[in-house]
Amino acid sequence: MPLAYSLPSNLSPATVTNTSSLLRIISLALISGAAIASRLFAVINFESIIHEFDPWFNYRATRVLAEKGFYAFWNWFDHTAWYPLGRVVGGTIYPGLMATSGVIYNVLHALNLPVDIRNICVLLAPGFSALTAWSTYMFTKEMKDESAGLLAAAFIGIAPGYISRSVAGSYDNEAIAIFLLMFTFYSWIKALKTGSAFFGTLTALFYFYMVAAWGGYAFITNMIPLHALTLILMGRFSSRLYVAYSSWYAIGTLASMQVPFVGFQPVRTSEHMAALGVFGLLQIVAFAELVRAHVSSKQFQSILFGSVIGIGLLGALAFGGLTYKGWIAPWTGRFYSLWDTGYAKKYIPIIASVSEHQPTAWPSFFMDLQFLIFLFPAGVVLCFRELRDEHVFVIIYAVVASYFAGVMVRLMLTLTPVVCVAAAVAFSSLLDTYIDPVEPEASDAAASPAEGTSAAGAAAAASDAGSSKKAKKAAAPDPGVASGILAAVAPSGSGPKSRGIFGLDTRGLVVFNALGMLLFFVLHCTYVTSSAYSSPSVVLASTNPDGSQHIIDDFREAYYWLRQNTPEDAVVMSWWDYGYQIAGMADRPTLVDNNTWNNTHIATVGKAMSSSEEVAYPILRKHDVDYVLVIFGGLIGYSGDDINKFLWMVRIAQGVWPEEIQEPNYFTPKGEYRIDDAAPATMKNSLMYKMSYYRFAELFGGNQAVDRVRGQQVPKTGPTLDYLDEAFTSENWIVRIYQVKKEDPLGRDLKAANAFANGKKRKKSKPLSRRRAVA
Amino acid sequence: MSRHWRAPFSLLLSAFLLPLCASAANSFENTAIVRIVDLGGALVHLTTTYAIRALEDGSNVYTIALGEQEHGHTSWLEAKLKGQTERLPLEDFGYHKDSGVYLYTVELPKALNVNQTANLVIETVQTHATYPWPEEAAQKDPQSLKYHSELLVLSPYKTAVQRTKIKSPSPQVHSYTTPESVEFTTDAVVTKAGATITYGPFYNIPPSATGTFVDKKQKEIVVHYALDFPVLEVTKLERAAEISHWGANLNIEDNYHFHNAGPRLKGHFSRLEHQSQGYFGRPAPHVIPSLQLHLPAGIHNVYYYDLVGNVSTSALRTTPSIPKGAEANRFSVLEMRPRYPIMGGWNYSFTLGWDSPLADYAGFDSKTGKYVVGVPIMTVIPGTVIDDAEVKIILPEGATDIDYYAPYPALSERISTHISYLDTVGRPKVTLKYKQLTDKHGGVIYVTYKVPSTAHLRKAIASATALLGFFALGLAVKRLDTRIRRK
Repeated sequence: MPLAYSLPSNLSPATVTNTSSLLRIISLALISGAAIASRLFAVINFESIIHEFDPWFNYRATRVLAEKGFYAFWNWFDHTAWYPLGRVVGGTIYPGLMATSGVIYNVLHALNLPVDIRNICVLLAPGFSALTAWSTYMFTKEMKDESAGLLAAAFIGIAPGYISRSVAGSYDNEAIAIFLLMFTFYSWIKALKTGSAFFGTLTALFYFYMVAAWGGYAFITNMIPLHALTLILMGRFSSRLYVAYSSWYAIGTLASMQVPFVGFQPVRTSEHMAALGVFGLLQIVAFAELVRAHVSSKQFQSILFGSVIGIGLLGALAFGGLTYKGWIAPWTGRFYSLWDTGYAKKYIPIIASVSEHQPTAWPSFFMDLQFLIFLFPAGVVLCFRELRDEHVFVIIYAVVASYFAGVMVRLMLTLTPVVCVAAAVAFSSLLDTYIDPVEPEASDAAASPAEGTSAAGAAAAASDAGSSKKAKKAAAPDPGVASGILAAVAPSGSGPKSRGIFGLDTRGLVVFNALGMLLFFVLHCTYVTSSAYSSPSVVLASTNPDGSQHIIDDFREAYYWLRQNTPEDAVVMSWWDYGYQIAGMADRPTLVDNNTWNNTHIATVGKAMSSSEEVAYPILRKHDVDYVLVIFGGLIGYSGDDINKFLWMVRIAQGVWPEEIQEPNYFTPKGEYRIDDAAPATMKNSLMYKMSYYRFAELFGGNQAVDRVRGQQVPKTGPTLDYLDEAFTSENWIVRIYQVKKEDPLGRDLKAANAFANGKKRKKSKPLSRRRAVA
Repeated sequence: MSRHWRAPFSLLLSAFLLPLCASAANSFENTAIVRIVDLGGALVHLTTTYAIRALEDGSNVYTIALGEQEHGHTSWLEAKLKGQTERLPLEDFGYHKDSGVYLYTVELPKALNVNQTANLVIETVQTHATYPWPEEAAQKDPQSLKYHSELLVLSPYKTAVQRTKIKSPSPQVHSYTTPESVEFTTDAVVTKAGATITYGPFYNIPPSATGTFVDKKQKEIVVHYALDFPVLEVTKLERAAEISHWGANLNIEDNYHFHNAGPRLKGHFSRLEHQSQGYFGRPAPHVIPSLQLHLPAGIHNVYYYDLVGNVSTSALRTTPSIPKGAEANRFSVLEMRPRYPIMGGWNYSFTLGWDSPLADYAGFDSKTGKYVVGVPIMTVIPGTVIDDAEVKIILPEGATDIDYYAPYPALSERISTHISYLDTVGRPKVTLKYKQLTDKHGGVIYVTYKVPSTAHLRKAIASATALLGFFALGLAVKRLDTRIRRK
């Protein structure tokens, strides 16, 4: 057999095995290192700090767990959240993340390694990303082989789509959930392949961990049944499937019901019915198989026909009846919004107001996955070519996750693993083909020079073509696909032996190109991670004229001021985005926070913010609000401020009080959203507008004041406040805190009292006693 | 309150000694007493010069008296002979119930014979002796304080002439008391020149450290003056110094709780006004926008953070280590900017820590085989009082024969165990507690201890054993056959 290049022949097989196993271990260790290291940009550029919003709550809960123990955490009633309602934390969260950190914390402390709980929380996500890389390796190994596994591990380790939710400090459920997802899938595949109840139980255990960690567990709950159902429909029912599925479902469901937040949902909500249905179906099919083994095939046909129809009807009726009776909860709004992207905007504006729930823009696919996104289809095609049970799983996963990723930016996260797996399969097939030194036998291929040149030509073309075409073409000369095409073109063609690559140059070109793609992938990932995904968003960074970093730290400044200089029970009202941060950094009770469970309460805040002072004041007093906090970016051009979010407040309030708050009132007659002189009166009188622009124009010392976010000129005479007092404004005016005045001791209306204090003459014509401060 | 003098007598003994003391009242007379009061913010420095004349041969123990109020504020007291730098030994006799004063005795370096004279200088520092008046000030308002004091300096001896001079930090003195019917003078009781207010001279005062005198003749004076600097108080300071022999490192971590003890902010904080004050270069006197801390030379890895993370607004300039024995004249300067300007009545807390080469602080005494490490008690912030201070010194694991020498005795001291990274038995920790420290209290606690060389190896052996155990376990598990049925 001719070889393109010579291989050393004096190596014993044992040496080769040992060396490759050592190399694999070293590669995995390096991949883990790279995965962790690339997530540390946030710590190096900024500091070891918890990012964004939800992580602050997780961090706070973890601190309770670490300081007071697990039971105190389990029974924790947080009376500072959702004032005055409070929140049963133990029953309304997925405790997996906190429990994981708590266990790590306790183990380290037991070993006399007193690591700060904050550092554990900050570094948890990078640590688990290393485990994700490892579990992706195991998963892909089941699909193809170890080398594909290593590629997949490297891809998932640095793919920005996953890094975006797992940088150091991003202490959120997704930090550990992707590892659990991949490991559950791996053990499912393993259980299915071997028919082992042990792996089935392992699947169930990791499924339980996943249920305890992330609401996205419903993805597994539906993926595995879907896979099982597809296999049954494909006629691939086997005892292995039966054992794997039954052990997973029985143990996993029982275990998942131990999580208080989940409770009886697995038997009572529509989201979980698929799993139950497939479980029942499997029993029936297994029973049918048993019956078939004992009766003749003709009898069996009729029994099968009758029973399938009967049971199908019965099942559907039972499901419908149970849903109708309310025993099974119908689909939730969040579920509908997955199918109809306009649904949330119409019916649940709170969900729609979150930017990560918006449909994905096309460029973000490339930004998050770079060349993987066009290797991905090739990998799926290769799965079709082999189509073992596990390949069916990847195909289903790919289809489902692609759809979801298109619907919601956030679900890009669930797509990333399968893209990495499929791309790794495709890429490793490419490398397998082109690195393999075996050449087709020239003598045997008298009729096939054309084929040889066509393959070589394809490879050469691939090297010339642009990067996107490169991948497709590079994937095309794979032996399987190529042979398929050739077989279609020339059915009388030569035998399989003549397929292959001639010469070192073609090999070199393709391999060189492939390596180039990998290199650019690394550069792209590093760039995207460092520039786009590593900002804590609690701290903003800008650049000084001399190029040094300038930190804008207004959030922490204001929160720390609240913490140090206000009474401990002072209630702070703000838009729900900042609830967790206020609770975490300022340690003060808040009205609403990021756990948006009570729409009315949020709408109340929205109403207070969007109505005039006179209307808002009784609301504030009734809720014991001491301070109101607004985010205002007009001075330095911070665009994520409350004036830009204001319309959502209006919309949410309108959903509850359609008579009092109407969105069109906040637009100019021309339909523009303005804050300058042309702003409508409702806008100008709203509490939010007043608090944002209070004394803002004075800062410009007589010059024209400009709002740098909206690029509009702010009226010279700014709004006045009668019921609130400015209490604190941060250095760059991003956070402004107002104190709610108590009722006037003389029983006057606060407006009148203010006018009196300013020495203004009372207008006789206007009876003032009519307006009392508090109803 | 922390003082550097001894208090060796039990209460019983002092009760026995007091009559003795009173009888000794005839051994001296004061030819003149001059007290100079330097007003400030949190601290008031008093310098009292006693020109004394012996009435008996061999008189060498001079008694000074502090009134009750005065004693309550005093947190530092030292006696020197004029023109000399050596401190004279002081003994505390505690409260004398009959006369209502606190008595201290100063031992003169050599006994005086009849008619011999000496000039004794007593320096005291008072804390919390002033309070803001008005108690609230708006952001633009000036800051004024009031200081209460007693008119006459108490002494168990007869006094020929006595004066009290009160120096205000600025010539803007809003008001001062003119006491009525003071019997020891014929002239004006009080005169003011510039920033100095002089009470007296008062002539021929009888022994005044008695209850009747304090009740009948003593007068209270109040000075109301403007202060252009903020009044900073440290309500709590926790210092932890960790000595590491492996790392050749002394890590010091301070936990500060600041409080602006100036007038409370009236109304609310307006960023606009604050920024325009800064723009026009007229900062309000009661705002603390930033703070300069003089840290030791040669420090590295400095960190400063508070409960919500790194205080990104601060800057640090370090200087290299100073050779041992040389005078510490260079400092690393930390320009500490709190997250927000500390207005009157506001609080701010933060943690500041650094590493420094152990060699700068430690020595080895080959005679006794002990290490000696000097740990500074605090970073002195001029004009600031530290209400509660706790100094923890964490010694290396396995240290024995621990002794420590504080420059002045602590209110409570304790040795406990502290467990840190990779410890097996824990490290000894010395905890000292103080109250009312002033800028005079900067000093060094010397700790001596032995560390056997086996203790040095403990960590290495412990971690090596743990890792080896782990590998052994791995080996065993790998070779264990857990299959039920052999294939």
